[in-house]
Amino acid sequence: MKTVILATAIRILIPIFIIFSVYTLFRGHNHPGGGFIGGLIGAIAFVFHTMTHGPHQTVNTFLKINLYGYPRQPNQSRSLYLMRMMRVNVWRRRRLARHPQLKERMIRIEPIYIIATGLLLAATSGVAGLIAGQPFMHAFWADFYIPILGKPGTPILFDIGVYLLVIGVVLKITFVMSEE
Amino acid sequence: MFLAILAGFLFAFAAPLLYRWLGKWVYVPMALLPFSIFAYLLTLTPSVLGGDNLGEVQQWAPSLNINLHFYLDGLSLLFALLITGFGTLIMLYAGGYLKGHPLLGRFYLYLTLFMTAMLGLVLAGNIISLFVFWELTSISSYLLIGFGHDKESSRASALQALLVTGLGGLALMAGLILVGMAGDTYTLSELLERGDMVTNHALYLPALVLVLLGAFTKSAQFPFHFWLPNAMAAPTPVSAYLHSATMVKAGVYLLARLTPVMGGTDEWQYTLMIVGGITTVLGALLAVQHTDLKAILAYTTISALGLLVTMTGVGTAPALEAMVVFLLAHALYKGTFFLVAGNVDHATGTRDLTQLTGLSGSMRYTAIAALLAGMSMAGLLPFFGFIGKELVYEATLEESPFRWMLFAISFFSGMVFVAVAIALGFGLFWQRSAKPTPLLHPDKALLYLPPVILSITGLVFGLLPGFLVTPLLRRSAEAMLGVEQVFELALWHGFNLVLGLSLLTIALGYVVYRFSNRLQAYATRFNGLYRYGPANLYQLSLKGFLAGVTKITASIQNGYLRSYIAAIVLTHITLIMLSLWKDGPRLELANRLPELAQLRMYEVVLLLMIVPALIFLFKSRSRLTSIAIMGIIGYSIALFYILFGAPDVAATQLLIETLTVVIFVLILHKLPAFRYLSHASERYKYILLSLAFGAMMTYVILIVKQYPLDSELKAYYGENSYLLGQGRNIVNVILVDFRALDTLGEIVVLAVAAIGILAMLKLRMQKGEKP
Repeated sequence: MKTVILATAIRILIPIFIIFSVYTLFRGHNHPGGGFIGGLIGAIAFVFHTMTHGPHQTVNTFLKINLYGYPRQPNQSRSLYLMRMMRVNVWRRRRLARHPQLKERMIRIEPIYIIATGLLLAATSGVAGLIAGQPFMHAFWADFYIPILGKPGTPILFDIGVYLLVIGVVLKITFVMSEE
Repeated sequence: MFLAILAGFLFAFAAPLLYRWLGKWVYVPMALLPFSIFAYLLTLTPSVLGGDNLGEVQQWAPSLNINLHFYLDGLSLLFALLITGFGTLIMLYAGGYLKGHPLLGRFYLYLTLFMTAMLGLVLAGNIISLFVFWELTSISSYLLIGFGHDKESSRASALQALLVTGLGGLALMAGLILVGMAGDTYTLSELLERGDMVTNHALYLPALVLVLLGAFTKSAQFPFHFWLPNAMAAPTPVSAYLHSATMVKAGVYLLARLTPVMGGTDEWQYTLMIVGGITTVLGALLAVQHTDLKAILAYTTISALGLLVTMTGVGTAPALEAMVVFLLAHALYKGTFFLVAGNVDHATGTRDLTQLTGLSGSMRYTAIAALLAGMSMAGLLPFFGFIGKELVYEATLEESPFRWMLFAISFFSGMVFVAVAIALGFGLFWQRSAKPTPLLHPDKALLYLPPVILSITGLVFGLLPGFLVTPLLRRSAEAMLGVEQVFELALWHGFNLVLGLSLLTIALGYVVYRFSNRLQAYATRFNGLYRYGPANLYQLSLKGFLAGVTKITASIQNGYLRSYIAAIVLTHITLIMLSLWKDGPRLELANRLPELAQLRMYEVVLLLMIVPALIFLFKSRSRLTSIAIMGIIGYSIALFYILFGAPDVAATQLLIETLTVVIFVLILHKLPAFRYLSHASERYKYILLSLAFGAMMTYVILIVKQYPLDSELKAYYGENSYLLGQGRNIVNVILVDFRALDTLGEIVVLAVAAIGILAMLKLRMQKGEKP
């Protein structure tokens, strides 16, 4: 579906959507909101993007990380190699010309990974209680406040898990449905 | 004992690894395991013979009185020694029999697993753990029978054995639980002392039926005997071990074990005698008709198992003594014969009796083992089989109303055993022949040593019964009878009636052997009868079951979302209406009419939006319109949520509505054109269903609202949400803290649903293709 206005608008709106969804996620503990609602808001941003630009464009823009690298020389130390790689990837544009053997590597984030991460986070947030000898899902809270986000604690971790999972599920469904 | 079982499981699962490391030498550690357990059990023997019953308890679920309890008395010691001693030989034998087989490691895994399960079964001191091991033997037997999994017949036989024994196992579980309820304990040693309590309990009869079903299926009693001959599809070491010496005797063991608990009643006695008797005769009759070595052995095994069950049913002291002696003798000679049959099969490539002659020249040691086993089976004088047979005859000739019936049964089977023993022990090997069957390879030590050892054991036990086996057998019989037993096994009883009958058996058995060709020709006339046999019944019921299941699945899972939803909604309506109809409160609307006056303006407006939209939805003939209307309804409902103070729910509803509409739009242009193919009545049917569901929900909510809601939960969460959950939004605190486990379950479902959707949409099926 090609509508120029929506297509242009959604590119500007996506950061706002995301920030708002994260804000909703964290305010959920004291005001209406929470992981589920936040996740839905975040997902809707991407769904609109898919609707206007197509799933491939969405994946290319948001779920792909391009890294640059070259194979490690046999006599090169591992840590030096890692540091070089990081530098190359941060200032890649300047370095690209000087390294002819520099190759592009792509990391694609599958929505399934987001689902799995969310599930893992939600499940492990309860393990903290087990380690402390309390029942599973026993909550621990910090003693300080972070402005806007509120008090950190394990239930927040659980909520973040829900958030990620919801985004992953909606993205997966949307991509599968719109792909052809 | 616990350690022995644990070591068994560890060795079982290490077997494939060991095979990779040791190659063909894998049999050494695998044979050492049963041998060391055997030696360990021997060290316990003196104390058991002294009258102690050893127990060992590992806590499992103590609150349910289910523990991993091990219990060793004479009976279980006899079986355990049989299992481990025989197991050692089988492990050696399998190393020679399946030498070079690529899956030898897996074979040892299954075999050791089975051995351990069987050991656990006989050592179990808690009837629930007994059942667990019982099922484990069924499963490992399934794997072993289906070891040659590239053959269709092998797989079918394995499945048949699993289905028959597995179904019996389920019955057994129910039966054992009933026994446990009747005796008020699951611990065997306590149960053994509460025999009267169990037999007088109201649950005795159902428990008896179920337990017997389990024992009969396992021990291949009529009418469940048909799986055993088919199970001979397994490699011969398996047949020898599982299907003659150990697993099929598990049913007999169970009956023997439960004799003090459930035995002694008329029901027990008659059922066992009738079923055992029929099985004995049937097995003997069928054994004469076959020429395949393993089939003959399988049917004689069935016959012997029948005899054991009959003896257990008779239940007198001599009968039970005869039973344990015969059990040991049978295991020795039948095991030997199976191994001999395996040798012959391995060396010549055939198991057909008519094609095999004069093997004594080329397979000297195997021939000797066969001869010794044959003499034991026929009940010749210095062998252990003789003592067994004598005792059986003595027991059947005891004063009882059925003595002639019982004697006829045992005499008939004894006669057939003699014939089979001559055919296998003598005819196959020692009869002179101008053209001995050629061998594919010479006899191998690993293959002939185990049967030779077994058959010599039979001879030694016969020569020295008093010293070696009597104490153990006496303790076994005691375990069944519950009272001190004094009996001495002796080879020579003097010239008496029983000796004469023994001689007569041998003479008649020889006659049967001489005329077996003619008998076989005569027996083929009865082949038509097999169409009505239980094996065919099994095939028919399996086929019918599969066809029925296919039909039901096809009608329930027809692939139309609307029928699934209709089914869900209908079930929902029916269940709720049923419970409301029976004892639910009645709706009283009269005094609630004034509430209508409190209706606010915007509520009416929302209602006026929803109802016409719904009516319009029924008539719409375009997908886009329908989706838009659904959106309107969804948003209106969200507004209702806001009006009634549920901002979280409202936000979720709004977002979900948005997403639904957007996703619908995404796939809209990919769907085929909207056409209305079904009849108008179809549409009214669904409209009616929706109306019924709406009416039901309205009714339920009106009833709920009729009573003031005073739940402590609301107050509890209101008070503690901030104090314990550190949050002011009660809904969210409940979701992520108080009831976080529920939420975790829900998000798992969500993730699984996403994967399911992925699988369903990625599965591109052709028209009419099945997934």
